[in-house]
Amino acid sequence: MSLPPLPMTVIAGYLGAGKTTLINRLLAENHGLRLLVMVNDFGAINIDEKLLTSADEDTLTLTNGCVCCTMGADLFMAIGDALDRRPRPDQLIIEASGIADPARIANAAKAEPDLSYGGVVTVVDGNIFKSLANDPLIGPQIIGQVKCAHAIAVSKSSAKEKALSSFLQTHTPAPIVTLSEVPSVAPLILEPKDKLEPQLSSEPHPSYVSWSYTGDAYLTQTRIDELLEKLPQGIFRLKGVVKNPDGTSRTVQVVGNEIEIKSSQAVSETTLVAIGLKDRITAAEIEAWWQQK
Amino acid sequence: MSEITVFETRKILTMDPNRPFATHVAVRDGYILAVGDKSCADQWGEVTHDSSLADTVLMPGMVEGHAHMMAGAIWQYAYAGYHDRVDPNGRLWPGLQNLEDVIDGLSTYADELADDQPLIAWGFDPIFLKGERLNKRHLDRISTSRPVAILFSNFHLMCVNSVALEMAGYDAGTNVEGVLKGADHSPNGELQEMAAMFPIMRRLGIDFRSLTQNTDAIRDFAKVSVRSGVTTVTDLFAEMSDNDLDNLLAITGESSFPVRLVPALAAMAGSPREMAAHAKAIKTRSTEKLRLGAVKLMTDGSIQGWTARVKWPGYIGGHENGLWNTSPEQIRAICTAMQEAGVQMHIHVNGDEASEVVIDILEDVLREHPSTTHRHVLQHGQMMGADQFRRCTEMGIAVNLFANHIWYFGDQHVALTIGEDRAKRMDACRSALDAGVLLAIHSDAPVTPMGPLFTAWCAVNRRTMSGRTLGEAQKISVHEALYAITLGAAATLKMDREIGSIETGKRADFAVLGDDPTAVDPMALKDVPVLGTVLGGSVNLV
Repeated sequence: MSLPPLPMTVIAGYLGAGKTTLINRLLAENHGLRLLVMVNDFGAINIDEKLLTSADEDTLTLTNGCVCCTMGADLFMAIGDALDRRPRPDQLIIEASGIADPARIANAAKAEPDLSYGGVVTVVDGNIFKSLANDPLIGPQIIGQVKCAHAIAVSKSSAKEKALSSFLQTHTPAPIVTLSEVPSVAPLILEPKDKLEPQLSSEPHPSYVSWSYTGDAYLTQTRIDELLEKLPQGIFRLKGVVKNPDGTSRTVQVVGNEIEIKSSQAVSETTLVAIGLKDRITAAEIEAWWQQK
Repeated sequence: MSEITVFETRKILTMDPNRPFATHVAVRDGYILAVGDKSCADQWGEVTHDSSLADTVLMPGMVEGHAHMMAGAIWQYAYAGYHDRVDPNGRLWPGLQNLEDVIDGLSTYADELADDQPLIAWGFDPIFLKGERLNKRHLDRISTSRPVAILFSNFHLMCVNSVALEMAGYDAGTNVEGVLKGADHSPNGELQEMAAMFPIMRRLGIDFRSLTQNTDAIRDFAKVSVRSGVTTVTDLFAEMSDNDLDNLLAITGESSFPVRLVPALAAMAGSPREMAAHAKAIKTRSTEKLRLGAVKLMTDGSIQGWTARVKWPGYIGGHENGLWNTSPEQIRAICTAMQEAGVQMHIHVNGDEASEVVIDILEDVLREHPSTTHRHVLQHGQMMGADQFRRCTEMGIAVNLFANHIWYFGDQHVALTIGEDRAKRMDACRSALDAGVLLAIHSDAPVTPMGPLFTAWCAVNRRTMSGRTLGEAQKISVHEALYAITLGAAATLKMDREIGSIETGKRADFAVLGDDPTAVDPMALKDVPVLGTVLGGSVNLV
C-alpha cells in the first residue's frame, strides 16, 4: 500500500505582504504536524533558536518535527523532492513568489495522485493592497492571487479595514481573516485533523468554528454530491471519510470551492470535520446542513 | 621558448579592421602571435607550419550570447520537431512534417529502446502542422505497452499516450486544469503547463535539472557548440550549487574541453543582496574556460506564448497582456543590489513594456549607483524600437536581439500575436546599430537551434518560413551580422579584450568553415559549412 497523499497548501501574496511572517507563526504553533515548508527567501525565516534542532545553509529543522527549506528556482522539482522525502511530512506548505499565480502551483496538487489539494491562502497587506490592485502593471496578477484563494489573510491591518474587506469581497467570496485577530493560523492553512474537535473546543479559538461527526451514517456517492452542493459558504475546510451503503468508503475533502471525492479503504465509521469562521457560520448551522443527509 | 604553429588557410576573416583578411595565423601558448601570410611569425623564431586547415576559411570563433545548457542534453530524448536538426553527435534528425511522420519516426526510434524504457521526445510544435491536433490515439499507435510523452518545443505542453495517462491516474473523472479532454470526456493526451505535466514527468523521470550541470549535459553542450562554430557559449539562467560549480570547473578545466562557457546565475531566489554577493564570490573562481560572475534576470514571458508584457495596443484579437515572472518592484530591488555590487546583469525582456520598464529602472538605478563599466545586457529585446535603443546607448546598456525569431515565428507574429506593423520592426537590428547600441544576436538554444551563421542569416535577410521578407528596413549587412556574432557578442560578455576577432594578442579561438561567408550569396550564409573550431590553438573538427 502506498503512502496517503501529501496535502499541499500554497501561501501566496505580493512582496512584503507578510507571507514569511505567517509562515514563522505557523511553524511556531502547536499543531502537532510535521510540516515541510518551502520558502523563496531563507533569510527572512526567523525561528526562535530554542525551537531549532539544526540549521544549515538551506534547511532548518525544528524540535516539533517541522522542516523549512529553500526551493531554488525550480518549484516543481522541489515538490518532487518533497514527495520523495522519507519520512514523508504530514503536510507540504509552498511559499509562492510574490508575483506567482498560486493557482498554477496548487493545480499540481490536483493533478498529482500523491498530493492532495490543501488550498491557497493569499496574504494581503491591508495598507497597500488596494493601490497594488489598481497598479496598471501588476494589478491583474495581484487580483488573480486573491481570486484563486480559499482564504484571504490580511496582515498589517489598518483603520480602513472595512473598506478593504468590501473591496476584497468584490473579487472573492473566500473568508477574510485579519491575522492580528486570530489566535492561531493553523486552521486556515492546514487540513483539519480527524477528530480535531475535542482539541479545538478546549483551546481558545474564538474566531474559528469547528464541527465534527463520528458515527454510523452512510451515504451514496449521489447523496454526497447533493449534500456537498448545499455546503454552507462559511465552511472553508471539510475533511473526512464517508461510508457507502455498498460497503465501500469515500474520502471527502473540501477546500474553498474545491471538492475532492476519492474511494478509500473501507472504514467502520463515518467521520467528518469542518472548519469555518465564527463571523460567517455557527456549529449549529453546520449541524443543520449535515442533518439533511 | 614555446612552440609556434602557423596555420595555413584558404582565407581568414579577422573582423579586425586593421587587417580584415589574411591567409595565415600564428599561435603560441594558445594565443594569436601574428596574423598575415606564411612568414607572419618568422620574426618570432622557429615556427611549425600546419597545413591541416589549408582548405578552410577561418573566422573568429563565434560567440553564442544567449543559449541554455539544456541544448546539449535534451538530445537524450528523441527529436520530434518540424525542422531538420543535428544532434551533438552529428546525427541528422529529419524534421517530422506531419503526424504520420511523427508516428513513423518515433515508432522507429522506439525499436531501439529497451522494453521497460519510456519513449520521451521533444521539439514538437503544432503551430507548423496542418490538420488534426496530436492526441493520445496517434501516440497509442506508437505503443500500447510503453509510456510515450512528447514535449512541445516551448516545454509548456506535452502530449502522452494512454499508458502514460493511466500511470498518472488521469481518466474521465479527472478534473484538472490543463488536462485536456476529448469529445468522449476522457483525457485526450494533451497536457498543458507544469502542474498537469508534473505527474507524467515524475513517473517517467523527465527531470529538467538533469539536462543541465551534470557531466554529460556539459559535454553535450560543448559538442553542440563545436558543431555550430561556437567557441564561447553562454548558459543564461544557470542554477549552480557548490557541487555543480566544482564539477563545471573540473570538466571545463580538461585540456580537451573545446569551448569557453559563460554561465549567468539565475537571479530568482533569495535576497537580492545575497544573490549579488554570491555572484561576486564565485566570479573569483573564473578560469580560462569558465567565466563566472554575471547574473540573469527574468521579467516577462514570451510573445508567441502571449505572456510577454507588451505596450498599447497589446495583442491582436484582444488577448490580454502577458505576465511578469518577476514583479517590477522585485526587478528594481535586484537591479539595485547588482548595480551597487558591480555585478553584470543579463535581463530577459521580450515585450516592449518589459523592456521599457527595465530601462526606466536602470535609469534610476544608474543615477543612484553611477558607474561606467556596468555593460548590462537586455536579452531578446524583440519589440524595442529606436527610442529604447537610444536610451540604452546613453546608459551603456547592450542589447542581444533574438534574430532567429524572424524565421521561426515571424509569420505567427503577423497572424496571431502582434500583427504586421509591429512584427515588421521586431528584432530591430538596423535601428539598434543606427542608435549606436552594442549589438549581439542569438538563438536561445534549445528554443531554436544554435548556429550563429543561421542567426546572422536571419538578421541579414529577415526571411520567414513562408518565404516573405519581414521588415526590409531592419536588415543589416553581412559584415554587421558577422560582427554581432563575434565581437559584438563577445563585448556583451565583456570578453572582447581576449576573443571576438583574429588579431595579435587575443586567444586563438577560430571557427573553421568550408566557405567564405562574405563571398557567398547572403541568402546562402546559413549554408556555409561549419567544419569545427579551434580553441586556444587546439583544433576540434567535427
